[in-house]
Amino acid sequence: MNITKRQTPRAGGAVTAREAAASRMRRRAQSWLTAYLFLLPAVALYAIFVLRPTIEVFVLSLYKWNGIAADRQWVGLANFQKLFADTIFWQAFRHNLTWTVVIVFFNVLIGLVAAALLSMNIKGRVIFRLGYFLPVVQASIVTAMIWRWIYNPDGLLNASLHAIGLGSLARGWLGDFTLALPALAVAAGWSGFGLSVVIFLAGMQGVDQTLYDAARIDGANSRQTFLYVTIPSLRNVITIVVILAMIGAFQAFDIIWATTRGGPIRSTEMLATYMFKKAFTENQYGYASAVAVVLCAIILGFSSVYVSIRERGND
Amino acid sequence: MTRMASQQVNVSQRRQAALDRGRKIGSQILVYAVLIGLLVFALAPLVLAWFTAFKTREQIIFDPYGPPIPPRLTNIIEAWTVGNFSLYFKNSAIISVVDVIAMLVISSLAGYAFGRMKFPGQRVLMVLFLVGLTIPVTAIVIPLYLTMRDFRLLDTYGSVIVADVALAAPIFIFIMRAFFKDLPSELHDAARIDGCSEFGVFWRVMLPLAKPGLLTVALLEFLWSWNDLLLPLIFLTSDELRTLPVGMLFYQGRFSVDYGLMSAGVIIVSLPVIIMFLFFQKNFVTGLTGGALKG
Repeated sequence: MNITKRQTPRAGGAVTAREAAASRMRRRAQSWLTAYLFLLPAVALYAIFVLRPTIEVFVLSLYKWNGIAADRQWVGLANFQKLFADTIFWQAFRHNLTWTVVIVFFNVLIGLVAAALLSMNIKGRVIFRLGYFLPVVQASIVTAMIWRWIYNPDGLLNASLHAIGLGSLARGWLGDFTLALPALAVAAGWSGFGLSVVIFLAGMQGVDQTLYDAARIDGANSRQTFLYVTIPSLRNVITIVVILAMIGAFQAFDIIWATTRGGPIRSTEMLATYMFKKAFTENQYGYASAVAVVLCAIILGFSSVYVSIRERGND
Repeated sequence: MTRMASQQVNVSQRRQAALDRGRKIGSQILVYAVLIGLLVFALAPLVLAWFTAFKTREQIIFDPYGPPIPPRLTNIIEAWTVGNFSLYFKNSAIISVVDVIAMLVISSLAGYAFGRMKFPGQRVLMVLFLVGLTIPVTAIVIPLYLTMRDFRLLDTYGSVIVADVALAAPIFIFIMRAFFKDLPSELHDAARIDGCSEFGVFWRVMLPLAKPGLLTVALLEFLWSWNDLLLPLIFLTSDELRTLPVGMLFYQGRFSVDYGLMSAGVIIVSLPVIIMFLFFQKNFVTGLTGGALKG
């Protein structure tokens, strides 16, 4: 661009000016073409395997279809009517909410307290951070297997209860209608809280140091400093951790599928496991897609709040 | 009177100081108790599985929670040979390695275009990929399965690889874009004047400077594809193609009471990830938290 500009006046004349303009256009078109070629693989894959299925799931939810037959039967919003009258759907929805509460407790409360304590002058801070983070990189199948074993009638949890004289509380945790769901949510909390610890630690480094100095001069103790300086300064980070927990909680599938598969008697059924069963074991693709659409809507709602907060933080 | 008063003040001051010191030590103990308690909560389940993997059946029955003395490799050898874990390991390795290579190519090219080039439709495409950050896999897995069926990719490595790369592309494109955007543009101009093509600038000048970004992409993509359960569970039906997590899921159904073999499986799945994590701890942590805190 610079070069052509410099050359134009020296060459002079209307013809060469037009030539220069043409070559500039050509060069620009060429740089556009290069950009499009750079983007082609990403855009192609993304359009075929992400965007199209996203649109398709809405379309499918308007049909009744067993997944195999050549013709799908148009039913309009009937799948959604059926869904909103479906007690199992609402049961699953409530289970996702319970799951959310447990995960938010782990990620926000435990995460925040651990991060606050670690940000004090602690010996062996590296070890603690490493230890808390190790469950985060474990496969969900590993989390599921280990915790299934801990919760077994002859597992670690019951053995520990017996050891401290609380043997009367021992039970088959995952066979219990009321306790199976929170027990599995604790396993999910175990695998996730380490991530929020490091997110909070990173956030705490960004807190304006003068606020802490001011609080100390005003004679605030460490608990007051935490409550009135740290927490308000981390408002955005806390919101982000809460929303990430909610997004994760509404997608909960792996740990449940690898342990109870929604049982006993649907007491751990989630939206994702219900959808999976409807589609891949009962071949009700239209109805399963309606569940997926609801799931998608909930998560998109959470995520758009998340993205807008993050964008605001970037400005 | 005044002397007595001052003595009293002195005594109470000293007592106050001692009390403060006591309180300080007390709160220190409390802080460490909470931190250590959490550490036990985080590590005990893993350590239990690692211990068990190296015990014989007798050791597991008589001492279920103690350390494996002496450690035995029988479970791991049995899982590797009889339990088909060598096959599952190979499948997982193929899928994850191809995933990583494909993702490095795709995300660096697209990230470069978004970060350093100008072209019509840039904003629209950016927004389109931004939407991709929020689309959950769970919600689109049904039409994705049908798409794979239409492309005749079901029950091939290709189905999992293509889906993994497409689904995670947005986040990695934004990571690479951020890296390229921050490189000085003088480098680009100088290389162009020296006669480099646009691709040459990308390949010879910019890409080597974006190495930290590439490392983050490679580590996270490996972690996610290695650990993934849902997609290989749905797309791969024949036993010869199963990945480690899917193999373990079925294995668990068959051998659910055999804790020794189960925990051998746990070791085989998590060892590669843990080794990588210990070497590149910082990259994992900043990659995972950076994704959460800024784009």
